[in-house]
Amino acid sequence: MELNLVTEGLKFMVLGMATVFSFLILMVIILHFQAKIINKFFPQKVVSTPSRASSTQKSSTQKDDKALVAAITAAITTFKNSKS
Amino acid sequence: MKKLLFLLLAVYAISFTVQPLSAGENTQNKHVEITSKKVSHHQAKSISEMFSNFYRTTGIYAFLNPKDNVTNALGEPLSKFAQGWGRVIMISITFLLFYLAIAKGFEPLLLLPIAFGGLLANIPLANIIGHEGFLGVLFESGIKNELFPLIIFMGVGAMTDFGPLLAHPKTALLGAAAQFGIFASLVGAVTLSQYTSWFDFSLQDASAISIIGGADGPTSIFVASKLAPDLMGAIAVAAYSYMALVPIIQPPIMRFFTTVEERKIKMEQLREVGKMEKLLFPLTVVMLSILILPESTPLIGAFTFGNFARVSGVVDRLSDTMQNSLINIVTIFLGLAVGSKLAAEKFLVVETLGILAIGLVAFAVGTAAGVIMAKIMNKFSKTPINPLIGSAGVSAVPMAARVSNKEGMKADPTNMLLMHAMGPNVAGVIGSAVAAGVLLSIFK
Repeated sequence: MELNLVTEGLKFMVLGMATVFSFLILMVIILHFQAKIINKFFPQKVVSTPSRASSTQKSSTQKDDKALVAAITAAITTFKNSKS
Repeated sequence: MKKLLFLLLAVYAISFTVQPLSAGENTQNKHVEITSKKVSHHQAKSISEMFSNFYRTTGIYAFLNPKDNVTNALGEPLSKFAQGWGRVIMISITFLLFYLAIAKGFEPLLLLPIAFGGLLANIPLANIIGHEGFLGVLFESGIKNELFPLIIFMGVGAMTDFGPLLAHPKTALLGAAAQFGIFASLVGAVTLSQYTSWFDFSLQDASAISIIGGADGPTSIFVASKLAPDLMGAIAVAAYSYMALVPIIQPPIMRFFTTVEERKIKMEQLREVGKMEKLLFPLTVVMLSILILPESTPLIGAFTFGNFARVSGVVDRLSDTMQNSLINIVTIFLGLAVGSKLAAEKFLVVETLGILAIGLVAFAVGTAAGVIMAKIMNKFSKTPINPLIGSAGVSAVPMAARVSNKEGMKADPTNMLLMHAMGPNVAGVIGSAVAAGVLLSIFK
């Protein structure tokens, strides 16, 4: 074989490790500043972050339902009025 | 009455003989040939002839009487050994894999379908792995075109919580260091094929094999399907078995490179990570990979999409499907299709031994590199870093993190490292995807 596989392999290693490290180092730096910026402009509300929709659905109270009913009735009445 | 019955029978008989013919006419030429052959060859035979003919179609006959110049379902030549003893050996290997999966609990979700696929692939005469066999169809529809590994990656993304990594981003460097195993074993593999006559791996083969060191099954399959499709069976089996063997392979290496005092180091509690940060993270990663390494965007793109669906909080149904039903379905297909590469003629070659050995070295070196990197970081970091979390930098989520935790608890029962180890662990997934992208981009 004319090609020296070992030196090729070593080149791959240098390129590969350099890329992997620079990718993740860049990621670390960006994450670092991202965290700072986010925590400055959007400080966390620790308690009220129900991230899952299922939990919000369950926790939807009767008050919400009333509002919904009101909205629907309003819509129906306007629809009827517009028809007549 | 008798007459009527007779007539009915006659009608049946006629319709039966006509049906296959008429069916054959409509379909392709090949089909016609097969059916017409069957019909034309059917002559009256004695009962002993029928039995001996039937015997020729049994597996016993096929195992005992390997023939020359036989090709397998894909048209590749089959040696006599591969037809006879080779298949018997492979079937025993699949039984061993069943044992490991069921009794020992080694990655049963993957090892079991892979092993069963291997069993089916070694059935003589059935041609299940051929272009028309169901394993062959699965292989061509999902692995040859790299679809299944990507869908798995999507599911893994949807399952992964990046909170620990976001809380302590520096630990991502451990995930980078552990990728050293990949490249070190690549050099090892090409050295072996350059200076010894045992193996003859090309650079492509060596790259595909060494990615086992990333301890990431889907990534290994993804790279193997692009660079070394012939070696895929052995690579996938090696990758998944070593992932399953993480609790056995890693601890001795971890203990060798650390002192008891280092293992007792307690790390600071992680801060709470807000939703906004989690939401931006997948986008950040995908933007980075777009800019730096588009070659890895299939993997990272699928991964971040899954994660984005998870953290967005508005498509729980989709994220739920990705984490559960979709990944389960694809795991079945992927396992069986990878198993189809366990056919004797593919697996029982000397390269397999090389792959298993190089994979193990890759894994061990990756673990060691992660631990050493963690030691270095501990020296320079303001907050203490327990070197044990370095080993979690090889992906193998969440097994490697659990191993770090367990080793930490062994040194000090109150030392909980699990969450700290999850950071490098998920960074390792990204790291090995990047490494895979680099290797693929070289051969582009």
